[in-house]
Amino acid sequence: MAKRLLSMIINSQAVGPLEVADDLMMIDFLHEYLNLTGSRLGCGQGVCHACVAILDKPDGTSEEVRTCITGAHFFDGKRIRTIEGHAKRDAQGEVSQLNPIQQKFVDQFAFQCSYCTPGYVNAATVLVEKLQRQPVKRSELEGEIEDALGKHICRCTGYVRYYNAARDVVESLGLVKEG
Amino acid sequence: MKNILIAAALLLPLAAQAADKQLLERGKYLARAADCVACHSVEGGAEYAGGLPLESPFGTIYGTNITPDKQYGIGEYSADDFYRAVAEGERRDGSKLYPAMPYTSYHLLKREDSDAIYAYLMRLEPIAKPSPQTSLSFPFNVRFGLGFWNMLYKNRVQLLPAEGKSETWQRGQYLVEALGHCGECHTPRNALGALQQDQRLQGGVLLGYEAPSLLAEDLAERGWSTDDLATFLKHGISAQGSMFNEMYPVLHHSTQYLPLDDHQAMATYLLGDQPPAPRKVSAVAFEQLDDSAQQGRQHYLNLCAGCHGVAGEGVPHVAVAMDGNTTLRLNEARNLLRVIDDGIKEQQFTGFERMQPMPGFSDKLDDGQMRDLLHYLRQTWGGQNAELSPQQVSQLRSEKGH
Repeated sequence: MAKRLLSMIINSQAVGPLEVADDLMMIDFLHEYLNLTGSRLGCGQGVCHACVAILDKPDGTSEEVRTCITGAHFFDGKRIRTIEGHAKRDAQGEVSQLNPIQQKFVDQFAFQCSYCTPGYVNAATVLVEKLQRQPVKRSELEGEIEDALGKHICRCTGYVRYYNAARDVVESLGLVKEG
Repeated sequence: MKNILIAAALLLPLAAQAADKQLLERGKYLARAADCVACHSVEGGAEYAGGLPLESPFGTIYGTNITPDKQYGIGEYSADDFYRAVAEGERRDGSKLYPAMPYTSYHLLKREDSDAIYAYLMRLEPIAKPSPQTSLSFPFNVRFGLGFWNMLYKNRVQLLPAEGKSETWQRGQYLVEALGHCGECHTPRNALGALQQDQRLQGGVLLGYEAPSLLAEDLAERGWSTDDLATFLKHGISAQGSMFNEMYPVLHHSTQYLPLDDHQAMATYLLGDQPPAPRKVSAVAFEQLDDSAQQGRQHYLNLCAGCHGVAGEGVPHVAVAMDGNTTLRLNEARNLLRVIDDGIKEQQFTGFERMQPMPGFSDKLDDGQMRDLLHYLRQTWGGQNAELSPQQVSQLRSEKGH
């Protein structure tokens, strides 16, 4: 194990350079170095998707990346967002307004224990951003939601409310076209 | 006397029934060993009802319906007709079958085995489903031309002499060469798609992936012992790694159903009665790697180590070990690169063994990073020190099969 310098932009804030072990997984970096504990360690082997962060790519697109099986140094020089970065905050740093997806999940009681929720919020965010670039036909909406959320595992509430809430967000933002 | 006659009259049909049951069981076993269902079914469709598209460089050939349906299947075939189709590649009407049907191997089938498979297939439920139309480019779209093609290449499998070989070896030869038709993928083909029988079992390329050489010295070089190879055939997984790509369905349709003696026989045939010692490769320390491989280590830690382990030790029931993995030892980096780019779907093996899906990393590694990662994997655990040129890497990446 060796250490090397690591820098990235997380939730629009520059992080680093920090000396970080070359084999540290990203979720441990978020939890242990930055105290960003919202990303959840679930299975630890890339299946449950509770740990996903959003990677913002230079071409303006975004994607989910599983932080439990991806090394921290993969993100060197990259931009990412975690669950902590979605809501608006006031001058004291307190959450003043949830993003539309978070709000809809709360309104529709989409979760109980919330362990999987950060992953779902990020998945739905990536979906909304994709549809903002290219709205989806109504006939293809269910397939898009399934593609976006289908990999995420929830063990207590079930999936229906997450799916309904995601559908409502996409509809209310005008990202569905007829067809 | 009367009682004896009555008893005989009652027993005879029972004996006939038992013989019939035995024949059907044997036919079912042989059909599995010959892996008929792989091409003559589609996923989710009725078994043996045809429809699997076999992509060839000349077009798509579809596996046909071989249920006993009289219109669409082989319901009108006699045992003689069936044998001619299987062993000679001739349909009932005398026209030639496309050589996707491995009659180049099946011509070695014993007649009684062909009859047993026939008896089994004829007892299946007839499925009235037409086979899709095969569409090939000229001259392969002309069935008449196939006779010429077959004549030109004379590419039938010829068996090695069995003199002095053990019974197990001989059984394995029949399973590998005739029934299992392993050579159809593990033998290179020429530009016209004909098997190059002078390079029998020396490895071929199929839809972008290498079906590796099965020669004894090559298997041993890649770490295979007879027992490990038999385990691999039975369970789809062993210390050397797991079956993937086109070999994975072979486990599911065929090899998992065979008795252990058959796996041992196949492995004995391939590695020989006196197998060469499997080569051991010890992990090479970071300091001994070349610059590119040293660069590649960080890509390994970033993208692979989460599942395959920092020391390449793997995680049971999650991801195979890199240390000792046979794919890393192949001379060509093709399969290693393909798996990294394409990923592997979730896999189910025999018993309760599973491996979770591996994501593809084609959009996470540029050609230079891929080259460094390949160097790291091959030099650290594969005993493969040959440097890959950037051109080789970009060429291999472009040869995506699916």
